[in-house]
Amino acid sequence: MSSLDRRRFLAASAALSGFAMTGFDVAAQAQAPRRGGTLRVSVDQAAAKLNPLLTRVNPEYLISELLYSALTRLKVDMSVEPDLAESWSSSADLLEWTFNLRKGVTFHDGSAFTAADVVATFEAILDAKTASPARQNVGPIAKVTAKDDATVVFTLSAPFADLPVTLAYTNAKIVPAAVIKAGLGRLDREAIGTGPFKLVSFEPERLIVVARNDAYYDKARPYLDRIDVVVYPDISAESSALIAGDTDLISTAQPTEYGRLAKATGVKGLRVPSGQFCNVNFGCDTKPFNDVRVRQALALTIDRTAMVDFVTEGYGTPGNDTPLNAAYRFYSEQALKKPDIAKAKALLAEAGHPNGLEATLIASDRPSLRTQMAVALREMAKPAGFRINVETMPHATYLDQVWKKGSFYVGFYNMQATADAIFALLYTSNAAWNETRWNNAAFDKVVNEARATVDEGKRRQLYAEAQKLMHAEVPSIIPTFFDLLAARREWVQGYELHPRGAVFRLDHVSLGANAPKRA
Amino acid sequence: MIELLRRVLRSPQGALGLVLVGLILLVVILGPWIAPYNPESLAPLQRYKPPSAQFWLGTDQYGRDILSRLLHGARATVVLAVFATALGTLAGALIGTISAFLGGRSDEAIMRTVDAVMSIPSLLLALLIVNLLGKSSLNALLAIAIAFTPGMARVTRSVALAVRKQDYVNAAIARGESAGFIVWREMLPNVVAPIIVEMTIRVAFAVMLFATLSFLGLGAQPPASEWGLMVAEARRFMHLSPWMILWPSLAVAFVAIGFNLLGDGLRDALNPRT
Amino acid sequence: MSPAYILKRIVLVGYTLLVVSLIVFAITQILPADAAVMMLGENATAEALAALRAQMGLDAPIWAQYGHWLAGVLRGDFGVSMRTGQQVGPVMIEALGRSLLLALFSIVLMLMLALPLGIIAAVRRGRIADLVVSVISYIGVSLPEFVTATLVVLVLADWLQWLPATGYVPLTENLLQGLRHLVLPVLTISVILIAHVSRMVRSELVDVLHTDYIRAARLKGLPGRTVLYKHALRNALLPTITIVALDIGYLLGGVIVVEEIFALPGIGRQLIVAIQSRDLPSIQAGALIMAATYAVASFLADIAYARLDRRIQYD
Repeated sequence: MSSLDRRRFLAASAALSGFAMTGFDVAAQAQAPRRGGTLRVSVDQAAAKLNPLLTRVNPEYLISELLYSALTRLKVDMSVEPDLAESWSSSADLLEWTFNLRKGVTFHDGSAFTAADVVATFEAILDAKTASPARQNVGPIAKVTAKDDATVVFTLSAPFADLPVTLAYTNAKIVPAAVIKAGLGRLDREAIGTGPFKLVSFEPERLIVVARNDAYYDKARPYLDRIDVVVYPDISAESSALIAGDTDLISTAQPTEYGRLAKATGVKGLRVPSGQFCNVNFGCDTKPFNDVRVRQALALTIDRTAMVDFVTEGYGTPGNDTPLNAAYRFYSEQALKKPDIAKAKALLAEAGHPNGLEATLIASDRPSLRTQMAVALREMAKPAGFRINVETMPHATYLDQVWKKGSFYVGFYNMQATADAIFALLYTSNAAWNETRWNNAAFDKVVNEARATVDEGKRRQLYAEAQKLMHAEVPSIIPTFFDLLAARREWVQGYELHPRGAVFRLDHVSLGANAPKRA
Repeated sequence: MIELLRRVLRSPQGALGLVLVGLILLVVILGPWIAPYNPESLAPLQRYKPPSAQFWLGTDQYGRDILSRLLHGARATVVLAVFATALGTLAGALIGTISAFLGGRSDEAIMRTVDAVMSIPSLLLALLIVNLLGKSSLNALLAIAIAFTPGMARVTRSVALAVRKQDYVNAAIARGESAGFIVWREMLPNVVAPIIVEMTIRVAFAVMLFATLSFLGLGAQPPASEWGLMVAEARRFMHLSPWMILWPSLAVAFVAIGFNLLGDGLRDALNPRT
Repeated sequence: MSPAYILKRIVLVGYTLLVVSLIVFAITQILPADAAVMMLGENATAEALAALRAQMGLDAPIWAQYGHWLAGVLRGDFGVSMRTGQQVGPVMIEALGRSLLLALFSIVLMLMLALPLGIIAAVRRGRIADLVVSVISYIGVSLPEFVTATLVVLVLADWLQWLPATGYVPLTENLLQGLRHLVLPVLTISVILIAHVSRMVRSELVDVLHTDYIRAARLKGLPGRTVLYKHALRNALLPTITIVALDIGYLLGGVIVVEEIFALPGIGRQLIVAIQSRDLPSIQAGALIMAATYAVASFLADIAYARLDRRIQYD
């Protein structure tokens, strides 16, 4: 359909469905989001897992966010807002948190949402048998109890200031207690949540359709009647579809495609600085990387500005071997490391490798920028005497055989909501995924102290100390951060690209009057 | 040998095939020496260059010279394909000849099993095997060899059956020679000519299969300049520079055409039709 | 064609599938990966692993696992996907349907082009037309699918923007869009088939045209066209049928690459996804269904050949 035809067609259909706009005058329409319509959003890989406690990749998060709610919700500035919890408070020692729940909320199957569902959900999350990623990411929860139908109390094993933020974790979605009792397997095929949309159909490799939940607790939202989540495993096809107007929104655009997208007419490129990064992990307990000088030497071979070009096509910022950058609240700036081959060579010699050393760097094949970075690193490190062999492998094999076990491989991580979340995920000695085995007592101490501190200035100081330690000791090389990229048609309104990478908030999206009507 | 060469040269396919394969061999042998640049070194300021006097075929996402990468990659691409074919042929020839020699029920059983294995598409079989062995060029070689074995066994058997009826085999059986001796010394040498023809054509197929495995990420590993891998990597950058994907694609096709032509030329030379 | 022959062929199809099932099961069982680890991925805990292993019967001896799996397959139960938790059988069968559609279109296109090309080349043997056809077919058989696919996408989808580069729309959902999405994959698969079959038709036809039978017909004064179409072509097509049947095996292999490139959710793509994510039940089902398809196709080709053969002999 040409754009002219489409406009004429829309004018006719708008006249027919005029009742949808009753009460709005033209001026008000410009501010108030228009209701109705179908949004077609594309994702770049299959959403295989539907069970919200087990989702692992961004497209799955996107879908579970539509179907389920959590207690709290992450806003674009990384602070939290109420979701199923209306308000919360903590004891002075930060060991006990009380959450007051929203009343009158129902699940998609019509059953009422109560504190019992929250308790059952967190018990399932904390049960190792469920194998939910949330288990290690929701904070030091010792016990969850229902004080009454609308009040839940979290008892912690250690003081923790960030609990309301960690409860917004992508996997901490509330599911009905009855379903948990009968077996979570049911949620592999259907969705029974309290989210703004209900599941209509689920073809994980191709198309997932959700429709507006009329019983959603917020009467204003969602604005859309329906969302089609379309899977495009081929990134170039995904871009072509948006440019052709077959889709309305690309949830994650690749750097190699972004230029083409941003230039296309009727398309708007979206870009936001983020703490998402690609890193090179060392097994700090394994030769030769247990010698800090070897790690420092490799870090000194990298031209970080060039690396930003190679890995992100310029849509990124150089990293400084700490997982925090300007996108985090507690980022503290340090001098950017510059390549210094002579010093790298000297360090290597000091560490007992005067003739350089050989190592195999493993990179999973998804996403392909892992390999992209590995190959660039290999060449940059060559002059200093590092002979690096790059080995790629399917992501599944990597997860099974290398991840958390290997001593030299490429990692890739989303930005987390807080500094504590990323440190406790990867770098403290009791980290959920302590892949570097750095086990630095001084670092653990400042991070632990920071999580039990409410005072902003004091926390900032502690986190600065933690970043300084990582900068100096290089448990992993973090050469680049990615800007998150996406693209939308101009008629898509209210979409804000979230720097977390795993949060989408599509219930805030609406379609402009010139959007094509989709069947 | 000279006579055979002359006959191959007489047919247009054979002559052209011989020239193309000759060229390919030259590149395989001399490639690394005639390459103008280092195929692996990075050039941050020379990324995505179109063909020019400085870079004849342009540069890739790291600013590496594509021509140099193709010249270096010829070895990985062609030599491995030839080895894989040879290995598969050898195994297939052995099975086929033994089956023909044994005859009767054993022959029936072996051949039915070979047929069964052949009903798994060779690409799928190769994919499964590479996954089993782990991905690397060497394992891709083995996978292709195994995938080729049943087909070669079938071809060899039909040739060997004809040979088995020959007098000299019967004579050897009458002399009471061991089975191994008969298969190895009397039968195999006589089935060699038609097998070589089949093999040459299969090299073309092996080049394609090997490149396909690399394309699917299961063959050569970066930063190798194996051509299939080059195509696979270039796909992501198609909209930044189409040259990156064009050249290695054409190179793979070029090699396959060369071996196909030579194979046909050899076939005509060995058994002229009319 | 006796019933005994058909029965024998059916038994052979059964034997083929048994061998294939053994191979596929063996390969997937010794894959260097713990199925339970694969399934739980990043969040595998010792407790979760143990529970899952018991649930999947991974602690039983291997022959028992094979027996259990085979019994399931015979009942049409291929197990549950490790990746999605869905029943593998229906997913694979649905995917096979899409692949067969792709194959069907490709074979039709191939017959429409390969026969005329082959006939022209044979009749005009040694002339320009023959040369052109043979150059085209040499190039055709030498282009791996991923190269052809790349070229057609670059030219037809990116530069000319006539067709969508990849993706899939069910024909039932939107016929026009569905067909548009099928054009490039069909084109890609057909190239090698057309090249191969037109060469076959040419060489068979050239042989037949030189037989005494055809010479005699010519001498009798029959018009050239009649000789060509009524006598020569029929005899030349026979071996071609066998080739087409053999090409189905090739076609199925090609489908894997083409579906991967064009993101067409057929059985080939399912298999690649399954292999990449080590989803064992899906690999087993996909490989077995593919082999079964091939075995059945070549069985049908055999039967067709036998029928045609008799008719021609007594013609």
